[in-house]
Amino acid sequence: MDTDLDAWFAADILVHEAALVQYLRRVWPHPDEIHDLRQEVYVRVYEAAGKARPHQPKPFLFATARHLMTDRLRRGRVVSIEPVGDFESLNVLIDECSPERRLGARQNLRRLAEAFDRLPQRCREAVWLRRVEELPQKQVAQRMGITEKTVEKQIAKGMRLLAEHYFGGEAQADGAGAQGRARREAAHPSATDEGTHGQDGHGRKQGD
Amino acid sequence: MAGSREIEQTAAQWLARRDSGDWPAAAQAEFEAWLARATAHRVAFVRLQAAWRQAGRLQALAAGEGGVPARAAWDEVAPPRAPFTSADAGADVGEDRDRAAPPRADALTFQPRREPARASRWPFAAAAAVAVLAVGLGWGWLHYGATERASYRTALGATDEVALADGSRATLSSDSRIEVALSGARRRVELAQGEAFFDVAKDPGRPFAVEAGARRVVAVGTHFSVRRDGADLRVVVTEGTVRLESEPVGGHPQPTTLLPAGSIALAGPNGVLVRSVAVEEAERYVDWRHGFLVFRDTPLAQAAAEFNRYSARKLVIADTAAGELRVGGNFRWSNAEMFVGLLEQAMPVRAERLPDRIVLHSR
Repeated sequence: MDTDLDAWFAADILVHEAALVQYLRRVWPHPDEIHDLRQEVYVRVYEAAGKARPHQPKPFLFATARHLMTDRLRRGRVVSIEPVGDFESLNVLIDECSPERRLGARQNLRRLAEAFDRLPQRCREAVWLRRVEELPQKQVAQRMGITEKTVEKQIAKGMRLLAEHYFGGEAQADGAGAQGRARREAAHPSATDEGTHGQDGHGRKQGD
Repeated sequence: MAGSREIEQTAAQWLARRDSGDWPAAAQAEFEAWLARATAHRVAFVRLQAAWRQAGRLQALAAGEGGVPARAAWDEVAPPRAPFTSADAGADVGEDRDRAAPPRADALTFQPRREPARASRWPFAAAAAVAVLAVGLGWGWLHYGATERASYRTALGATDEVALADGSRATLSSDSRIEVALSGARRRVELAQGEAFFDVAKDPGRPFAVEAGARRVVAVGTHFSVRRDGADLRVVVTEGTVRLESEPVGGHPQPTTLLPAGSIALAGPNGVLVRSVAVEEAERYVDWRHGFLVFRDTPLAQAAAEFNRYSARKLVIADTAAGELRVGGNFRWSNAEMFVGLLEQAMPVRAERLPDRIVLHSR
């Protein structure tokens, strides 16, 4: 496992997720493609960094995003290109010029607490018992009166939502918040349901 | 290739399974094969794992066998702005608190709002015991009546998001101040100065009213911003509906205006002017929350005034021709200097940089 690269990726790339997503939302006309775009940007950055670590991660990240969108436009996957027209010029003025503010330990804690608070009730409870109180899964299941399998599903869901809230920056200090959140929910009204559906096949897929 | 959401779900399943403790060698092998199959798998996993590891820090907030804490019970964690902050403390209040505070986050975590600030370093056990007790009392208090008051302000050039005890959030723009009074029956916020954006938690039984001078903006659960500009008030609604009420003038009741999402209302001494625009358009008026000022075909004079809300070094328009130039783009409000640089490059503008201001001349 290339954990060094992974650590770099988390520390120097993922911290910019909120800004990246905000940028993508601003210039890309199809909100439902943002998740996919984000992943593809990450893949490109990760692969490039495997060869040579970029000196300036944030500008590199945004340049990658820009190239990706350009590529997608060229490939004609976008029907309406009009709103996209000026993303090159927008970007010049957007994020590259400002150094990312590193969160202090307390700010970070606050952001984590906010991300945690936005989990659905069951999920929140499972995450707290497992991750914070570090109870064994079995005990968590007993406490919550659900099966271990369900605990694991709730944890998996919690992992996804925490990452989304924490990196996605809804709770971040500059308040990227409510607006982006509202839009995201509008774009994926069934985000929670979808999580449950996706996990239906879980037991079968990974049963050994 | 699977879609990104699907990959993310699979990655979460792997991570949760590995975390569950039931992790035979066969699972490890299968997992590694999955990771190696595509970079997309790996980045999705790395991302979830990084957040999950971070989540372990929440342990700093655990007060022993307290069980799962109530939502938002810890909104005093690293507060962006402490209630009852004095004006002279300026933008660095949060950090001042950091320095003055005991180093253990857990000794601070549940420090309830109504407790006077403790300057001394308490032994951890005592602090935790007090904290648990205080949280219990605090919640009782919130739920059964007494009005909770808090005051928040920002310095020039700073914005802040604060969590209110009812679950609502207020984002203060530069040089702004709000006074919050929450009780079981109503939620009242006075916008004393500047501008604030509100993300109101739904609570039909307790209307959320923002008062500014002679006017009141009432919401049940919605997103809107209110801004004071001298005698004028600007209300921007980006979600839901709010009601704009005015105090009677000379004994005559003033009409109430309903503002749906996408409304930009300007209330001045002579009445209320409402413009209806697309919600996206309305949102750009509150993009300052994300650090941006967004202009679309905006007169330079107006753009300069926006920048001036955030900075002591003012942009001054020297002549009408300069003020009438139209500008567009997204700009960081924290970087007026860059904005001026771009103006010089792209527009017929000459900037005269003085220590306390930048004068913009047409050329």
